[in-house]
Amino acid sequence: MEYFSIFVKGIFVENMIFAYFLGMCSYLAVSKTVKTANGLGLAVIFVLGITVPINYLLENYVLKEGALTWLDPDFATVDLSFLSFIMFIAVIASMVQLVEMIVEKFAPALYGALGIFLPLIAVNCSILGGALFMQERQYPSIGEATTFGLGSGVGWWLAIVAIAAIREKIRYSNVPAPLQGLGITYIITGLMGIAFMSFMGIEI
Amino acid sequence: MAINKNATGYTFLFSIVMVLMVGTALAFTSLSLKPLQKKNEADKKMVDILGAIGITTTRENAKIDFPIFVKQRLSIDSEGNVLNSTSGNVDSKDASDPFNLDVKKDYRSKKPASELSFPLYKCENEGESIYVIPVAGSGLWGPIWGFVALKSDMNTIYGAKFDHKTETPGLGAEIKDDFFSDKFQGKQLRDAAPYFTIEKGGRETDIHSVDGITGGTITSVGVGEMMNRTISIYQLYFNSVINAQANNNGY
Amino acid sequence: MGTENKAITPKRESLFSKKNRKLLKDPLGDSNPITIQVLGICSALAITVQLQQAVIMSLSVLFVMIGGNVIVSLLRNLIPDRIRIIVQLVIIASLVIIVDEVLKAYQPDISEKLSVFVGLIITNCIIMGRLEAFALANKPGPSVFDAIGNGMGYAWVLLAVSVVREIFGSGAISLPGMGQVKFLPQEWFISSGGFYENNNLMILPPMALVVVGIIIWIQRSRNEALIED
Repeated sequence: MEYFSIFVKGIFVENMIFAYFLGMCSYLAVSKTVKTANGLGLAVIFVLGITVPINYLLENYVLKEGALTWLDPDFATVDLSFLSFIMFIAVIASMVQLVEMIVEKFAPALYGALGIFLPLIAVNCSILGGALFMQERQYPSIGEATTFGLGSGVGWWLAIVAIAAIREKIRYSNVPAPLQGLGITYIITGLMGIAFMSFMGIEI
Repeated sequence: MAINKNATGYTFLFSIVMVLMVGTALAFTSLSLKPLQKKNEADKKMVDILGAIGITTTRENAKIDFPIFVKQRLSIDSEGNVLNSTSGNVDSKDASDPFNLDVKKDYRSKKPASELSFPLYKCENEGESIYVIPVAGSGLWGPIWGFVALKSDMNTIYGAKFDHKTETPGLGAEIKDDFFSDKFQGKQLRDAAPYFTIEKGGRETDIHSVDGITGGTITSVGVGEMMNRTISIYQLYFNSVINAQANNNGY
Repeated sequence: MGTENKAITPKRESLFSKKNRKLLKDPLGDSNPITIQVLGICSALAITVQLQQAVIMSLSVLFVMIGGNVIVSLLRNLIPDRIRIIVQLVIIASLVIIVDEVLKAYQPDISEKLSVFVGLIITNCIIMGRLEAFALANKPGPSVFDAIGNGMGYAWVLLAVSVVREIFGSGAISLPGMGQVKFLPQEWFISSGGFYENNNLMILPPMALVVVGIIIWIQRSRNEALIED
């Protein structure tokens, strides 16, 4: 039940885009068509689903105070948390590089379609945000941490696919010329953000 | 001889050198600055405790003002027994000094109350005895904490001071403002849990509740939660003090 | 012989040459990081509730951008391609962390205000974006100008949004060191029997997006070349 709760919260109540506004840059830039949005969204799910558990292991066995006791009981007071940012980022960037290489080898068509958007995931604030939230909330098990990662990823995917679908539809609407494209996307995202606020405070 | 910067060997070498340099730079910075940072934290803690009893002081003067107004500091366990007691100047290196108990860290460690000890500050301002309880909990984005000051009846709130690390500016972050903490003055705890309520912004409040921050619901709820959880731990101690007082008065 | 030498030796760029001025000017308008390049959005939302937050954030980002651009530009011929993203991120993160640690030790009050932003600065796509797009391929000198230009471009949008949000959302304005100052007379407010009420929606992050959308609207109305088809 706990897993379900974390998963659903990650999609709706604590949606990376609409509740925390993390990962907006790629979200706004890549949402012109549903196809590319879908591809990037799936890549984000994958990266979040893998980096959050890896960072969880890092946090609990290397970084936080007393984490290194498995190496030597004398290390109980060693606190390496000042290295958190660097290590999380290194893990994320390496994972993105790995994903890039795998996709290039096994799905070259997809690789071509995504282009530079794949490496863009490394700077997606929602990925680092996911790691930092995991660290802050101190999930008791790696299972829950992974569920959180996957749930947040699905939430991000949902957001970008939704806005891409809307953007495709309004290409044929009477949006004032200066607002076309990016401008109206900002405003629509703002409205969707307000709508998602209705989820805040829901206990699952 | 031109270095091929894309060769695998060079890449490994570069990575290793970079990791070593960055690691050393960060470790050096962190370790050499730690004593100064710890001192700043201790000063801030004293400023906040004094702030909770209505004394405004600066980081520089905190060390001097602290022993004047904080008459005694105790540590108690979850059964309400006094473990340690001291007074006078604070020594941040003395592990037995209740001042050095890190309430925030203990909360994060998720250890059960039976394994922890809790600090309590007995203060005096303008002849009045005040008890200051440190509280720590979680807000929306990160940790929140503060100090709740109770009058000698251990029921009326003398004042409070809250702080946070990463709450939303203009919303949850407002718990730091006097505008929020002033609301607690004169309020009273209930006899049983929940001892105090932070109402959702705009709702009616009574003597056992205050108005939360509009738009900062989760942070406000966090304040209420940490107050209630912590006060319930100190209740055993308070009851024993009240009983002792009653016995002394010959009832 | 004299003319041949002239053809070979490249002219040294004067400090305020046309190229450098362009680097400073473009991000303020036609290639603005937030409204055109779509970078640095995340921070623009949470920070712009109060003007003083926006000021501190803008200065911090500017500082890290200049530092990062210079370092990466100096190292540009040494960084292997395979790991360049990691290297860039590590450089940015280290810079921000060192600044944070030094402030915590020597300026604890400023550090308190800044700690909130540390994570946001590290992942600010503008910093990374400019490293990728400019510093990796250009000399340190122009890289500094690029950093300043983009930093200012980011800053003015941030300041504009926060002024709007703070005035309409809190009826106040704030500056670092001054705190928040409510300037609307108390009698105007409904709670005092008046007619005015602060627009609480403005305090919430989604409104920042709407305000930026309106800024884009104004910007593209004035320069039709920027309109997307």
